[in-house]
Amino acid sequence: MRPMNMLRALVLVALVAVAAAGCAKKTVQTPPAPPAETPTQTPTPPVTPTPTPTPTAPTTGLPLDQATLGKLQVVYFALDSDAIDEGGQSSLDANARALKSTTGDFVIEGHCDERGTAEYNQSLGERRAKAVQQYFADQGIALSRITVVSYGKDRPAVEGSDEQAWSKNRRAEFSLRK
Amino acid sequence: MRRLTLLFAGLLLLPASIGAAQGDPAEVKLEWKSGSTARLPLRCEPFAPVGDRDARTTSVQGDEVLAADLAGSAVFQVVKTWDPTSSGSTPQFVTGGKWTVRGTQLKLSGELRDFPGRRPILVKEYSGPVADWRGLVHRFADDIVLQLTGEPGVAGTRIAFVSRAGRDMELCVMDFDGHGLTQLTNDRSIARSPNWSPDGSLLIFTSYRGGTGPQLWVMNPANRKPFPISTRSGINTSGIYSPDGQRIACTLSQDGNSEIYVLDARGGSPQRLTNNRSVDTSPCWSPTGREITFTSGRSGNPQIYVMDSDGGNPRRLTYDVDYTDSPMWSPKGDRIAFVSRTGAGFDLYVCRSDGTGAQRVVSGGSNENPHWAPDGRHLVFSSNRDGALALYVTDLDGTPPRKLETGGRKALSPAWSPRH
Repeated sequence: MRPMNMLRALVLVALVAVAAAGCAKKTVQTPPAPPAETPTQTPTPPVTPTPTPTPTAPTTGLPLDQATLGKLQVVYFALDSDAIDEGGQSSLDANARALKSTTGDFVIEGHCDERGTAEYNQSLGERRAKAVQQYFADQGIALSRITVVSYGKDRPAVEGSDEQAWSKNRRAEFSLRK
Repeated sequence: MRRLTLLFAGLLLLPASIGAAQGDPAEVKLEWKSGSTARLPLRCEPFAPVGDRDARTTSVQGDEVLAADLAGSAVFQVVKTWDPTSSGSTPQFVTGGKWTVRGTQLKLSGELRDFPGRRPILVKEYSGPVADWRGLVHRFADDIVLQLTGEPGVAGTRIAFVSRAGRDMELCVMDFDGHGLTQLTNDRSIARSPNWSPDGSLLIFTSYRGGTGPQLWVMNPANRKPFPISTRSGINTSGIYSPDGQRIACTLSQDGNSEIYVLDARGGSPQRLTNNRSVDTSPCWSPTGREITFTSGRSGNPQIYVMDSDGGNPRRLTYDVDYTDSPMWSPKGDRIAFVSRTGAGFDLYVCRSDGTGAQRVVSGGSNENPHWAPDGRHLVFSSNRDGALALYVTDLDGTPPRKLETGGRKALSPAWSPRH
């Protein structure tokens, strides 16, 4: 998909989602048991006016898949820090837009570089992931979709003992909930 | 005798004053003098093989293991009479004896004598299956150390650790000399930070095997069946048994931020000990169980603190070092080992339990997760000092750390077992 087309698709999906927001929230939070009147029916999206008809017409967004997750931007941190800097904020803004057009749960993984100790890094990694979680929550992403897991320094993105490797390893990234 | 006196001044822990002015008056304060290399010169003569043909095969191996045990005790300077490259000062003691094999049974008649008089100091028999000849030699070595220092050695102990292969980190255990390595988990996940129960029967460790982040699990290494201890939401890390084995100190973030808790031995009835917005982690009990040392970021970067084991009276221990973590209280209660960041890596430090007298004991490469031997004479730690991550032991007397064989595996996060 070319960038323009993708953008259009995203806008479309977003509009649909906004239009269906009220129903969508209810759909998500309704217990799985369907109403008695339609016991055998699979849940169908409620009919809602949409500016442009689309073939799939999702009301709550596309199910989150690996492809979407893979396009999310990794957020990087300074040494010993769980603060989200300006670059991190713009990455997270883009990520939040993409995630809001989807449904489904995901994991925020917090990671650290090898310059911290194993135990302290397990705690720091969680603080990084939780900082991202809070940022998403402020952008309107349901907390119920998010699981936070810290890997400390045990899952580096890049092997190596220089600033180039370290800066790539101090990060929060995203994965599907298993 | 003068040498002996020197040794005791240099290597052993002298009760200096009980209830020193600073700190908990209930804690026995001990004086520690480092930097001494005084060791008792001891001559190892080979065991005389008696009986079956393979008596000789095992006895020559036994010779090497006894010599390695005694050298590794940090009490002796060992000269092996069968090894021309082995030399040292005039010996004060000599070991040897008979190695008798009858079928599947071994009788080790161990002897420790003074030198050159050769008057017996310790003569003792050890019997068991030939297959367990290492165990018999370790017992003899520990008795020799006991005879000459008043405290048994650590040759019969084991070391739990984590081996890393690619992304996977598995729990392993081996004898203190690297023999008999056994992999305990096969989770294809992350295992970390093992610690032994005080009776040596259980290992508590951090594991991602549950699939939802770090949790505390316990395993009996004899049956390798892990069972969950704390799987609360958030992180569950840094589990460590109290000296009486009745409680577990650990780090949980169930209330939003890493705090130190004490659980009962089954993982229930959590009691929160710390309460602040920064990270608190890495708890370790004092040997009396009355205090807990831990790491906190409350002052900015991580530093070592001590609090009462009910969470009261927290006080900072380290000031003049960078980022510090991994405090481990020595078995006698007199010292605390920890790591401090220097450049790209960590150095090992030891200070008194009131925080004074901090000394760097290991540097070069990055050195992490120090763990005391039960005799307080050695620390095992992980390091990349020679390249790949491996385990090392320092005898805290200025001699270079020695590498432990781990069968070619990358090894980290060691924990020295208590004596069994």
